[in-house]
Amino acid sequence: MPIDLYYMSMSAPCRAVLLTAKMVGVEINLKTINLMQGEHMQPEFLKINPQHTVPCLDDSGFVVTESRAICAYLVNKYGKNDKLYPKDPKDRALVDQRLYFDLGVFYASFADFYVPIMFRGQTSIDASKRKKWDEAMNYFNTFLADQDYAAGNHLTIADLSLIASASTMEAFIPNIFNDYPKIKEWIERCKSQIADYHDLNQVGANIFGQMGQSALAKIQ
Amino acid sequence: MPIDLYYLEASAPCRSVMMTAKMVGVELNLKKTDVMAGDNMKPEYIKMNPQHNIPTIDDDGFYLNESRAICAYLVNKYAKDDTLYPKDPKVRALVDQRLYFDMGVFYHRFGLVYYPVMLKGATKIDESAMKDLEGALDFLETFLGQNKYAACDHLTIADLSLVASASTFLATNKTIFDKHPKIQSWLETCKAEITDYEDTNNRGAEAFGQWAGAALSKLESA
Repeated sequence: MPIDLYYMSMSAPCRAVLLTAKMVGVEINLKTINLMQGEHMQPEFLKINPQHTVPCLDDSGFVVTESRAICAYLVNKYGKNDKLYPKDPKDRALVDQRLYFDLGVFYASFADFYVPIMFRGQTSIDASKRKKWDEAMNYFNTFLADQDYAAGNHLTIADLSLIASASTMEAFIPNIFNDYPKIKEWIERCKSQIADYHDLNQVGANIFGQMGQSALAKIQ
Repeated sequence: MPIDLYYLEASAPCRSVMMTAKMVGVELNLKKTDVMAGDNMKPEYIKMNPQHNIPTIDDDGFYLNESRAICAYLVNKYAKDDTLYPKDPKVRALVDQRLYFDMGVFYHRFGLVYYPVMLKGATKIDESAMKDLEGALDFLETFLGQNKYAACDHLTIADLSLVASASTFLATNKTIFDKHPKIQSWLETCKAEITDYEDTNNRGAEAFGQWAGAALSKLESA
């Protein structure tokens, strides 16, 4: 019963899926899609995923895209219990809110900042985009003020999604969380609990970081 | 006990919550929150929602923001059955994927085209942003070729979220779906099935359209 994952290791959303699959205990067949070489636009991949994004999960013919939908699916379908994605409506709602926050605010503000620099040849820092990113980090720091984990008192897929994002931010600008102590503490807390964290997440974040830092070096 | 909804009717995410609540049969206590006038920056509001955006619900002291999380919560907690948000992991995964698509691609790209004009005084439409928006419409058109509704063979919260968005697009630009027949017919199908559509969505979409129209009329001519 093979589960294929089309992915790139430098991609934060892909790594959230890798972390989730490992914690759930599901074996994944990894298939690299090199976006920089346009492999996502090949006809065979477009047939599977007309949106041509990664990550893309193919569970014996059942295809899911959107990392956070994939993470939820893996727990809903294969989890031995619901710890990573609690079934209680209120607990689940908080996890969901953090997942949408990650997509629409936290990672989004970071992407708005780095995409022009890393992929569009921008050679200056956009201060207003940096401000939006700081606002997002501040919100997350605030969420963590009275909670040890992103969505309550134990690790969930909200943490896995957000740590893929946060580790990528940190690889791009190493001291980025100096003003956000709660985020720093939370990262350390999560790392110690996530199976194979280094191989499944840190390595890929570092690849992103290297690419990002050489682009940043060109900034006046 | 009714749930408080802090909202503005022009806001598409707020309307997806209104449609969902009506279909689930949950009573909402509507609290108009004028973000232009700073209602969302008051200390009482920030206490409920540090992100100070809308919609936010207060369910007897349980605060929640993010419209799609709210819609899911309303079905998970209050619906008589799981029709609007099926529990089957595969079907639910497709609903979830469409919800994330709505936030991150569909509505997001619409905002990138129109918000600079409506909120930041831009006097021209960004052509490459418009091209990206057309790409998003193409994706939804493709999804609607896979199923009768957004995610499966019946109406779900994926449709409600996407209808809130799509109706907003149409109110802003009456020809926006001219090249997307599946989106057009899906919208008509959904309108007929969504309870109290005029109150829960149409009126608010029209309000957004009027606001957008006023800003668009100030654009430099091509």
